[in-house]
Amino acid sequence: MRRYVTTIMIVAGLGLMILSYTAMATPQCNTSVACSNPKVSFAAGVFILGIVIAFSSAVFYSVYKGTK
Amino acid sequence: MTAGTIPTTEPKGGHQSTGELPQKIGQLSPSWIVFFVAMLAVTAVGFYAYLLQVNNGLIVTGLRGLGTMAGATWGLYVAYYVYFIGVSFAGITVAALIRIFRIEKLEPVARIGELLTVVSLILGALAIMADLEHPWRAIVNLFKYGRPQSPFFGTFTMVIAGYLFASLVYLYVTSRRDAALLAERDSRFKRLYRFLAAGYTDTRAQRRLDRRVTFWLAITILPLLVIAHSTVGFVFGLQAGRPGWFGALQAPGFVVLAGVSGIGNLIMLAAIVRSATRTKGRITIDAFSWLGKLLLGLLITYLYFTAVEILTITYQPGASELTLSEALLSGTYAWIFWGAIASLVIAAVLLIWQALTRRWSIGLVVATGVLVNIGAVAKRYLIVVPSQTHGQLLPYSTGTYTPNWVEWAIVFGLFALGALMIGVFMKIFPIVPLEETDTP
Amino acid sequence: MAKYAMAVDLGRCQGCRACMEACKIENNTPQGVFWMYVFRTETGEYPHTKLDFMPRPCQQCNNPPCVKVCPVGARFQREDGIVLTDYDRCIGCRYCEVACPYGVNYYNWRTPEEAFADYGTDYGDPQVAAVTGGLIPPYKNPDLARLQGKEQRLTAGSAHNVGVMEKCTFCVQRVDKGLEPACVDVCPVHALHFGDIEDENSPISQYINQRTGFKLLEELGTEPSVFYLNGTPPGPDTREIERPLTEVGS
Repeated sequence: MRRYVTTIMIVAGLGLMILSYTAMATPQCNTSVACSNPKVSFAAGVFILGIVIAFSSAVFYSVYKGTK
Repeated sequence: MTAGTIPTTEPKGGHQSTGELPQKIGQLSPSWIVFFVAMLAVTAVGFYAYLLQVNNGLIVTGLRGLGTMAGATWGLYVAYYVYFIGVSFAGITVAALIRIFRIEKLEPVARIGELLTVVSLILGALAIMADLEHPWRAIVNLFKYGRPQSPFFGTFTMVIAGYLFASLVYLYVTSRRDAALLAERDSRFKRLYRFLAAGYTDTRAQRRLDRRVTFWLAITILPLLVIAHSTVGFVFGLQAGRPGWFGALQAPGFVVLAGVSGIGNLIMLAAIVRSATRTKGRITIDAFSWLGKLLLGLLITYLYFTAVEILTITYQPGASELTLSEALLSGTYAWIFWGAIASLVIAAVLLIWQALTRRWSIGLVVATGVLVNIGAVAKRYLIVVPSQTHGQLLPYSTGTYTPNWVEWAIVFGLFALGALMIGVFMKIFPIVPLEETDTP
Repeated sequence: MAKYAMAVDLGRCQGCRACMEACKIENNTPQGVFWMYVFRTETGEYPHTKLDFMPRPCQQCNNPPCVKVCPVGARFQREDGIVLTDYDRCIGCRYCEVACPYGVNYYNWRTPEEAFADYGTDYGDPQVAAVTGGLIPPYKNPDLARLQGKEQRLTAGSAHNVGVMEKCTFCVQRVDKGLEPACVDVCPVHALHFGDIEDENSPISQYINQRTGFKLLEELGTEPSVFYLNGTPPGPDTREIERPLTEVGS
């Protein structure tokens, strides 16, 4: 359970970061009006959320008591 | 190998008496109150200056536009933002040295380092907020519209969010055991400790778990550290529009100078904590000598980078680089430049001497800590400001920039705020990890 | 789609700075702010000096460093090539200003009340009122407060709100109406030309093609949309003959 949830949190966090960078933000285009807006608003916020979730997994791993 | 990671070689601290918390936690001595009030006053002056700036615009500072206004648009705030972010280097590096390279002599200063990282990152974020007229708009828009192309995207996602959060997690995970120990005693913070401990039980299994967590955290935060400090370097190193900025050496140079200022700060803070919390028996000369060696390595690397940089801008400079290098080496900024070089070189000599004789003195190591921080602040200023006032690419007049009292008040206010955070932390939680008293 | 460009005929410019004045009136810029600026420069040593004039609007780069560094996408380039600032979004970090090699960005250091209050004339004075007919500057161009273009963003002169960055917009509010920028319109010697360079038969394309010229700091890869004709770029020895405007605004 501990490993399971921790892994899910890390994967979810990384997934959110990758998703936000590649699909929601506009990392590569420069000279078009569309590029001044992220494809989805708050892409940067999602990126940070991803970081937070990924690192929170450490807290869970350490604090979780086990299923007794 | 026993379950504990902390060696028990040091004599016991004074925290064995029941009821009383160790390291003078919760005891408000007169000198601490004086410190607290003084720092609060300086912070208040800084806050007043900030309000002045918010109400009247940045016109109240010494900053002015580039080009026709012949000023510097980035000044003290940005220089100190870079400096504060640099100081954050200390915590995770020490953590990594302990967890990955098993230099356990550094264990007593680990939490000081982590705290320094967290506090300096907060100060860095506040310094950049002080530079903005619309801080709330900035916070919302950065989250809402943040663009990965901008080097600032990296600094606020990687540094201010990622690095800060990761450091907080690390600080928390490594503090739970102490919270659990303290929660067993009667004190006014008992409920806080119990909350922080979150059901911690000091068992072999738990210790093994924590060791694994901290090891992997150190492993993952270490690359984050390099990325974070590099992104701050990229803010300058990717810009061809100003002389002296564009270059591949900026990012690694930022990482290394960050290390120099961070470890230097940690040395100073460790010395203060050592005498303020009566932990002279815990934080020994060994910790200082390790920090000194680490600082020496980083410092020599940085001096090498500086030599490379000077040679590059003086050997065959373009017109604007020439103007800039003259201003740096023999002109307006020469006293800052040579002052910085002198303090860094003197610090290096002091450390080399101690390393060669193998006789480390806490006083001397602390002196190098002070010197390298003077050098680091000066170098940060010289990265930010001269490229804006000198060597403009169009025939604008040479600019000038003198920080005024508003900027200094805010910067000192930030330092005082940082000191307050650390001072209050010291009165609530043991800043030096408690000793391993028994093995469960 | 049109691609707007400006041609500056340095052989014609006489340094009268009427363009700077027109720009200030059209865009209501505060004191000390020159979206259009004319360098009056000197090259060589006395008595062998050469006096030059070089108007400097925003270069409207096609690879704009300011757009790249903007952390929130407040600085952007329209499809017609005009580089604009969204004043509602700008957070005032001034990264665009340090990234721009041309020094065309102006930050609003002061609140509008202060920035305009300081022109040094007491408009309530009866003698002044007799001349102004009771009008109290600043004159406010109503077009500036309107949202511009397809994007419908606040990109024209705006209210010069404190703490946001601004710069030459090629007078986007005029261009969208089919007019030329104010500086081009007002130039008494036709040193400034404006138009669509994607159209090879447009007057500006022909004007540029018939003359030799350069773009400013093209070696930085910024791909400016401003063409300088019949002149030479400023060299390392070129210097401004005027005092900097540091005291303005302090």
